Amino acid sequence: MNETWPIELLAAAMVLGTPLIFATVGEILAERSGILNLGVQGTMLVGAVSAFWATFNTGSLLFGLLMGIVAGALISIIHAFLSVTLRVSQIVAGLALTLFGTGLASFLGRAGDDPLVGNPSAAVFEPILEGGLADLPVVGPLIFGHDIIVYLAWLVAGLASYYMFRTKAGLSLRAVGEDPASAEAAGVNVSRIRYAHVMIGGALSGVGGAYYVLSVRLVPTWQDAPIGAAGWIAIALVILASWRPWRAVFAAYLFGAAARLGLTLQTLGEPWNNVPSTLLATIPFVLAIVAMIVFASGERARHLGAPAALGIPYFREQR
Amino acid sequence: MTQRRFIVEPRGLASIRLSIAVPVLSVLAALVVGGIFLALTGENAIEVYGEMIDAAFGSSRAISETLITTAPLILTGLAAAVAFKMLVWNIGGEGQLLFGAIFASGVAIWLGDGTSSAIAIPVVIMASAVGGAFWASIAAIPKVYLGTNEIITTLMLNFIALNIMNYLIFGSNSPWRDPESPQFPQGRPIPESASIPEFWNRLDYGIFIAIAIALLAYFLIYKTRWGFELRIVGDSADTARYAGIGVSKKILGVFLLSGAFAGLAGGLFVAGPVGGLDPRSLDLGLGFTGIIVAALARLNPIAVIPVAFLMAALINAGPALQSIGVPSSTVTMLQGAILIFAVAGEFFIANRIRRPERTDAAPDKTEAAA
Repeated sequence: MNETWPIELLAAAMVLGTPLIFATVGEILAERSGILNLGVQGTMLVGAVSAFWATFNTGSLLFGLLMGIVAGALISIIHAFLSVTLRVSQIVAGLALTLFGTGLASFLGRAGDDPLVGNPSAAVFEPILEGGLADLPVVGPLIFGHDIIVYLAWLVAGLASYYMFRTKAGLSLRAVGEDPASAEAAGVNVSRIRYAHVMIGGALSGVGGAYYVLSVRLVPTWQDAPIGAAGWIAIALVILASWRPWRAVFAAYLFGAAARLGLTLQTLGEPWNNVPSTLLATIPFVLAIVAMIVFASGERARHLGAPAALGIPYFREQR
Repeated sequence: MTQRRFIVEPRGLASIRLSIAVPVLSVLAALVVGGIFLALTGENAIEVYGEMIDAAFGSSRAISETLITTAPLILTGLAAAVAFKMLVWNIGGEGQLLFGAIFASGVAIWLGDGTSSAIAIPVVIMASAVGGAFWASIAAIPKVYLGTNEIITTLMLNFIALNIMNYLIFGSNSPWRDPESPQFPQGRPIPESASIPEFWNRLDYGIFIAIAIALLAYFLIYKTRWGFELRIVGDSADTARYAGIGVSKKILGVFLLSGAFAGLAGGLFVAGPVGGLDPRSLDLGLGFTGIIVAALARLNPIAVIPVAFLMAALINAGPALQSIGVPSSTVTMLQGAILIFAVAGEFFIANRIRRPERTDAAPDKTEAAA
């Protein structure tokens, strides 16, 4: 049995949590503007296939990441148009985007004479430091041993937090999510803010998807469903992070650990390796349900910070 | 105030013509979008669609196979339709279907060969409804009594149900697993007495059960007092409370009914074409497709029947595509596009768009002249 398993579990949890941070922070921005986007799963997949394709054809990780961002933002316009301009049910619109994105990503990965599917990525994100600080016990693997995207996730969470709570634009964003009619009366363009934040959310989801297929620590190969259920987990994480980007970091790492726990238990020997992997795979989902019931039921969701206008279409003409 | 280019106004009651035209146009628009992607990847869209139509309707065998998929789709469509009508966002049809299948196959195996079909088949089908309702209750009870968001809980329950099914077949020596096939894990076949008889190729009488349940659901919602009160709750919970209707109980009832419908889909599949708890045949995304069916049918239980047939045709075309070198995920992409256009269409059913009248523009001109 390996004595350093808790550190290995935490380090792996940070890697698995990183794409969740991007998707969750993205969804927090959209929901703070009042738009519930259940299209995260589909958006992440479209971002993933775009990023993989771009890196595959150019060998450039930066170009791949950019394509993930652009594709995520563009595909999200579908949700913004349906829920902001047409004001239809945001729930059904988001599900539609996820279905379409899931199908589209799989289709693009398999279409053509020389499909992407089964191919390893042409380049991968690797840990920045080899040896030195990264070899230190505990802090080495946890703080210094990661690739750049893990640190970028911290930066994104920090910037989103600063933007939401310390800038005038962030104040407008929160006003639109709480009370769009008053925000409009104060001169804020509700539709524009909602479009912008759904698209920024989509761009961040795209980064999350891209990381799955471009990180050497995950599975840098194109396959049909390279992200598991990450997009769905991210939607639950928004609530558990109480719509605050910094908390999303910790919530995402917690779920990263939950997702990794199964594999860790397999390495611990008797009696832990007797627990069937199919049941261990349910841990993140059970955790999400229990956390939802305990922490986010009824009025508690409002106290956590749920935007008051979340999910409600805004009709300017009626005011 | 700036001059608007368009004026959007609510139509009031939706016309029947639009209620039919919009879903039809949604499907056509989705085929155009799909065709663009097919063309971009070097496929001839007309040829691909021709192949799909042939695979779904081209022979008596193809039509009977499409009808086999129609039966569970009617039920998952109903599951979404009754729940969404009440603004209960049960996205867990997938998991409820699987639990219906787990209960149905479990009861069928437990009953064994000795029971007569007249008892075994109804009992197995009832068991699937109970299984679906049970799985829905895990999300329904916290929603009704604590106010827990059911979108997330039902979604998460889908993944848990899938893993439990995989555990029963791949991860353990459960009674659901076929002991005859230790190398290649699969579901234990249910006894012949619990199988619904076939009457045309592989098609069994389950399709009639599904249609009967859809008619029953229509009757329940539109012709009974319970359904009338239900629709009041769906329109406005406050009005319903004022009228003395027990809102919590109604929501719980609809949630469990929705789960039971999805569970029945699993039961009909197990007692029909699948014949056991077989993960490869049950994990087809029929729960999610049910949401598309409900949206295209505009939540009308009767309309669910023809729409389910159409969606079943689309699903059954998937494998045929693979044989001509087109990814079968074309089907998922088309389904997503159909749903996108169908929800967009809701806007045009609910609203009328017109150009502003000239009188609005006239004052601007005089201002400009002055």
